[in-house]
Amino acid sequence: MRGRNQQWGPMTTKEKPEFNDEFNEAEFLGFAKSYLSEAFPNPQRIGCPPDSDLQRMADQPVEARDAVVSKHLTCCSPCFNRYMEILASLKRRRAAGQ
Amino acid sequence: MASGAAPSSFRLNSVDRQGRQIDPAVHAAAETVFPRALEYGTNLLGDTAVVANTLEEVAATVSQLIARRDPPGEPAPIRNLPGYVFRAFVREVKRLKNKELATLDAAIAGQTLAQRLADPSRQLEMEVLVAECLALFDFVERDMCWRRLEGFTWDEIGPVHGLSGHAAEVRFRNAVRAVKEKLALSRKPLPSAGETAQNEGPKPAMGADDDKRKT
Repeated sequence: MRGRNQQWGPMTTKEKPEFNDEFNEAEFLGFAKSYLSEAFPNPQRIGCPPDSDLQRMADQPVEARDAVVSKHLTCCSPCFNRYMEILASLKRRRAAGQ
Repeated sequence: MASGAAPSSFRLNSVDRQGRQIDPAVHAAAETVFPRALEYGTNLLGDTAVVANTLEEVAATVSQLIARRDPPGEPAPIRNLPGYVFRAFVREVKRLKNKELATLDAAIAGQTLAQRLADPSRQLEMEVLVAECLALFDFVERDMCWRRLEGFTWDEIGPVHGLSGHAAEVRFRNAVRAVKEKLALSRKPLPSAGETAQNEGPKPAMGADDDKRKT
């Protein structure tokens, strides 16, 4: 009989080492997402690109065309949240297409 | 195989946890595949009792399916019933496993947010790292970050930029490491207790006064 609980161990203990010790991707991404989704409200929607630009960058990112849009996402929570929605939709479409 | 797993100690019931009856033919088929199911399910779910419950639920679902699709007078739609039950069991185990991992990811994200709010120094540290990463990443690395934030796998992200999944992961990790090294170089060590006592007043954490002193 195999040690069942031991087999579960590595899957359920995504422990968080100290920030300075090792890069913990789950922690980094979890923090980044929660931070970017609320830290830059931009209620006036200053400098926001149209939805089609976000959609285009999600489908096929091209640096020469999308660099400004990508940079904008780092300082605009509404656009960041919208882009996450677009990526989630893209992921679902690709999963359904497989 | 699972001879050592002693399936006799986990006999399948004729009713699942939700009280649904298992058709005798399906029950026999489930008993046939039980050793294989036990071995496969235990590897992923980790608990033989959970595996047995899952197999019973799958058997009950298959029983309902047969009852719906096999009215009297129609030929049986399933030729290899044990194989069908086992495949249904494998699908169910995978679904449970994915659900568990999704729950785990959500818990990690929630814990991170809670941690962020609870520990101001850690919040500041992470904010600096995230801000620096997003400022110093090039276009490709930033795009990798966006997709990773939304749960894309490296095998999905790599081809978007003409890379393998592994190459994409390595590039992203190296980019984060470079930013961390840059931050570590710019960070001054904390003063010792004696040095602190000699200071006349509190100083900003980022050492702005040190820069003024030099000039």
